[in-house]
Amino acid sequence: MKKAFALAVGMALAVPAFSQSFTPSRPVEVVVHTGPGGGSDVLARAMVLIMEKEKLLPVRMQVANKPGGGGAAAAAYLAEKKGEAHTIGIFTGVWLTNPLTSAEAKVSLKDLTPIVRLLLEPAVIAVKADAPYKTLGEFVNAAKQKPGELKQSGGSITSRDNVVRQQLQKVSGARWQFISFPGGGERIAALLGGHVQMMVIEPNEAGEHIRAGNMRLLAQVSDARLPAFPNVPTLKEAGFNVTPVPQVRGVVAPPGIPRENVAYWEGVFKKLTQTESWKKYVADNQFEEAYQNAADLSRFYEEFSNQMRGVLQEAGIKLVR
Amino acid sequence: MQGFAVALQPMNLLWCFVGVVLGTVVGVMPGLGPPATIAMLLPLTFLMNPASAIIMLAGIYYGAKYGGSTTSILLNVPGESASVATCFDGYQMARNGRAGAALGIAAIASFIAGTVGVIGIMLVAPPLARMALAFSSPEYFALMALGLAMVVLLAGRSMVKALLATLVGLWLAGIGTDLFSQTSRFTFGRMELLSGIDFVVVAIGVFAIGEVLANMEGREAAKALPVPKGWRNLLPTLQDLKDSRFAFLNGSVVGFLIGVLPGAGSTIASFISYGLEKAVSRRPEQFGKGVVEGVAAPEGANNAETGGALIPMLTLGIPGSSTTAVLLAALVLWGFKPGPLFIPENPALFWGLVASMYIGNLMLLVLNMPLVPLFAQVLRTPAYILYPVILGIAMVGVYSTSGSLFDVWLLAGFGLLGYLMRKLDYPSAPLILGLVLGGAMERALRQSLMMSDGHVSILVSRPVSAVMLSLALLILLMPVFGKINRWRLQALEK
Repeated sequence: MKKAFALAVGMALAVPAFSQSFTPSRPVEVVVHTGPGGGSDVLARAMVLIMEKEKLLPVRMQVANKPGGGGAAAAAYLAEKKGEAHTIGIFTGVWLTNPLTSAEAKVSLKDLTPIVRLLLEPAVIAVKADAPYKTLGEFVNAAKQKPGELKQSGGSITSRDNVVRQQLQKVSGARWQFISFPGGGERIAALLGGHVQMMVIEPNEAGEHIRAGNMRLLAQVSDARLPAFPNVPTLKEAGFNVTPVPQVRGVVAPPGIPRENVAYWEGVFKKLTQTESWKKYVADNQFEEAYQNAADLSRFYEEFSNQMRGVLQEAGIKLVR
Repeated sequence: MQGFAVALQPMNLLWCFVGVVLGTVVGVMPGLGPPATIAMLLPLTFLMNPASAIIMLAGIYYGAKYGGSTTSILLNVPGESASVATCFDGYQMARNGRAGAALGIAAIASFIAGTVGVIGIMLVAPPLARMALAFSSPEYFALMALGLAMVVLLAGRSMVKALLATLVGLWLAGIGTDLFSQTSRFTFGRMELLSGIDFVVVAIGVFAIGEVLANMEGREAAKALPVPKGWRNLLPTLQDLKDSRFAFLNGSVVGFLIGVLPGAGSTIASFISYGLEKAVSRRPEQFGKGVVEGVAAPEGANNAETGGALIPMLTLGIPGSSTTAVLLAALVLWGFKPGPLFIPENPALFWGLVASMYIGNLMLLVLNMPLVPLFAQVLRTPAYILYPVILGIAMVGVYSTSGSLFDVWLLAGFGLLGYLMRKLDYPSAPLILGLVLGGAMERALRQSLMMSDGHVSILVSRPVSAVMLSLALLILLMPVFGKINRWRLQALEK
């Protein structure tokens, strides 16, 4: 019902002169939880550029960096802006997992107004080009023979990198080390330097190293093979019955936003995802187009939270909520 | 040569100039850093050709390192984290009436080190990048330990007080979410503390606010600091240049090498270069009281670091700092594929950038030297105007970095701490050093132990880390040797 309503309003918006609807009248603030150069910041700035180029909004958009607390500061900022119609935020899965593990992160995505899901970011499992493992199975077997001796570099233990490791360890019974590095550059450097044996990496980051002959892929963390790597098996195809946890990015608004505003934004972002520039951006970065409207997004929150809760518990991470 | 053909095109020269001017301005203003500036200018770069754009953005990056020293020297307010070490002697020089000489030597050191950095990119980029990959957690731990050993050199009259201050710094570094277990430490339920305390807040509080509070005790002070008089104090003298000979070399080499490491950064580079300068100096007792080489070394280091940091970014597509991360994002948005094949596939862009950096560094020197006597005139401002201005700059600077009022309160708290430390004769440099190195050092240690499955031997069984740890031990033992030597001399006299 809700979905049908949103759809109806979205379609109505395609007609410019829709009298009842909301239209922004001053610059829109786009809140991101990373500093300049971080994943969400780069996405937000690219999105703003495309919005301006395609003239999808009557006003300008400004990116506001609210780093801190692994997303907690940005979420809290949005929560404070209750009812503010000219502020939106770019969220990632961290906004859902962070409140699970840290008591101080009081605002969850569920306390904000969902707008749309935009992207899923697939990942690939990479090893150094001269590594002895040709398949994921060989890597896992090697780890089984020498428990705890092989290493994987990645981000924090609640990151997708570690989630993939936990899932693989669970289905295979193998065990290897997970070493956290705060910066993405350090993770790749640790792999290329031979200090760790494996990492979960974004496809376009890996792409250049594969082209240069520094890295090799063992598997892809996605449901279907990516166009750029037609010959690399997915986790399931590699023989590991694991549900890939998606890295998700989308848009939220402060709490207390009227329904017509939500519908307006749904329409704008729907149009954004249909533009050629956006499609090119998504393809260039090897993201996965994953538009969902507000109602579907709420359901996605639940699924994602529950999945993460299980994985984190199995990983022995203390949950506070 | 192909590079200069690109860099010398009038449009590119113009954008290079725009970049370095913007960079200088950004560097002078505390709070607004190169990453934010570059991110804000991204939309504009789509109207330019990529060569002009990267030349301009890089200009902002290294230009900011020139500007960063200005407020450190004149107001004891570090313009950015890499300029904290410049405060130690730079501000003292200004207090001695030699603000002009300090600013001048900072510009010259920046020019020399910046140029050395560019030569480094040109000659050794690919092999050095591969060497940097051999550097892993145990080596980072040893590097941080070496840096922390410098505390012995930064101590004032009392070693115990210096060590206490270091411990407080290390504790402050531990505040926030632990990367390895996702647990909050010392956050007292405050969401603002989840990502730790920004070291710039502490540095500005302890240095600038503490200094202002301490100076307000004197009732009669009409002028905050002596205004430099005569050419000798407005620009560096030949003697100053001679005194800084080694500092230029030290800053350039240390800064460049540390810059190449993705896990280190310009702040650490400037501290280590300062410590090294003091360790080999013939007048170590003068450090912290306003010696010119104490400005030249860290300023050189933070400029050479820029050249070093561009190496992993350009040759491997690995960003080592937030600025290089934004530059990398810009390259992707313009349709390039940064990575190991970037240079071979885009030689004109790469060499154009390198050539533009020679030109840009020269422009910065020419631009900054005439500004030196002008900036020095800031000190003419009477204290009753200057102090509120410093407080204002400090608060705006901190607020504009994070947009959080909580940080402004923290700033006030650390200002008070700085004042008390001054009153009780606790040195503040060790506190800052502990805070800068603590986080990275803890991470490197825990990563190393995870790599070795708990065996501490990993720290000494690898040659590079073993050498650095021995050096650290040697530095730590220096005061003991000094004491033994004194006893020996006394015994000989008897």
